[in-house]
Amino acid sequence: MKLITHQSKLSDIILQDPSTITVLDRFGIELGVGDTTVDQACVSHALDIDFFIAILNTFINEGYFPQQAMSQFSAEKIVDYLRKTNDYYQHNVLPNIERHFGFLIAKAPSHNNNLVLMKQFFDEMKAELLQRIVTDNEQWFPEILKNGGYSSPVTFTLWQDTDATIEDKINDLINMLIVHLKGDYDHNLGYAVVVAVFSLKKDIKQNNRIRNRLLSPICNKTSQ
Amino acid sequence: MSKERAIILTHNTLEAAGLKHLLTHTLHIEVHIADETFFSTFNANAEPHYYFIDPSTLLSNLSFFLPRKAKTIVIASSNEPVEDIKSLNVLMPEDCLVESLSELIESNHHDEPTSSTLSSRETEVLRLVAHGKLNKEIAQELNISINTVLSHRKNITAKLGIKSVSGLSFYAMMNGIV
Repeated sequence: MKLITHQSKLSDIILQDPSTITVLDRFGIELGVGDTTVDQACVSHALDIDFFIAILNTFINEGYFPQQAMSQFSAEKIVDYLRKTNDYYQHNVLPNIERHFGFLIAKAPSHNNNLVLMKQFFDEMKAELLQRIVTDNEQWFPEILKNGGYSSPVTFTLWQDTDATIEDKINDLINMLIVHLKGDYDHNLGYAVVVAVFSLKKDIKQNNRIRNRLLSPICNKTSQ
Repeated sequence: MSKERAIILTHNTLEAAGLKHLLTHTLHIEVHIADETFFSTFNANAEPHYYFIDPSTLLSNLSFFLPRKAKTIVIASSNEPVEDIKSLNVLMPEDCLVESLSELIESNHHDEPTSSTLSSRETEVLRLVAHGKLNKEIAQELNISINTVLSHRKNITAKLGIKSVSGLSFYAMMNGIV
């Protein structure tokens, strides 16, 4: 994936990887970007250009990790971004999957209880993700902000553990849908559920990297 | 899937460097060139997926490589197996060499579970996992060792693509394994 720079056009970024639309949205940038460049967008939306570029590059590139630059961002900025990400999961992605799942189950013959069980498994994963958001808001974010970024290594490890189980469960759900789905169901609605779960998976995976990569340098910096 | 790892053990440095280049760039395998200290510092937890060794390394360490023959490949000047271990003929043009290498790597993958059907023992283990039993309890109930339980669980996850306990429980319910 090509790295994003100050001069990159927003339209090129989105065309290269459409999942960045939701990331841009978290910075208040909507579709209809014209030929705006990263520099111009950051000026007009009053964004920190380096932070904006670091988030986008970490999001689209698995291997991207400019440690020096990362450790210079303030805890406030990162927490604000993570809060918006959580809002996006809570108010957009989860309800969206739920809606598709609801239609899929409603249209399926009543004897297909596979879908109902998968939905229950989704509900479990959803509850875990929502619980993570509660913990973020009540414990993590205040603690990170209060200590200017420092949080104890023990709780940081715990946090990463929860992330791993949420990712595991999303992967399990995708495999259930793709490999193990049986019986009659509406194909279009089935695809819609799979695509919606896939986009959540990608977003969570990328954002866990941002959580871990952006916040751990901050934790290390302030604990030294 | 995480990257596969290979260890090269040969007295011929140029051979090692060339093989490393091919494995890294063509087959995307992570390669480490080892020397004699390898055996004294061997860590069973860090077993690679492949050993590429020269015949003399094989002959002087048979007790190490025979139990690992499925993942061992001898660097040789013919394709004849050495001591029943697969070999790679390095006296070939580059494209043929890459082809044989890919075939050797591919044939190794066939040992992994490819069918998604669980064996009756695996189904039994899955049923107990779904009932919320711990590995220790499953081992006791089926009268097998914990390591055997772990190996069944690993196979179940590889076959079904489901890792979490609750995911496995839902799979069991969906398939009437209760």
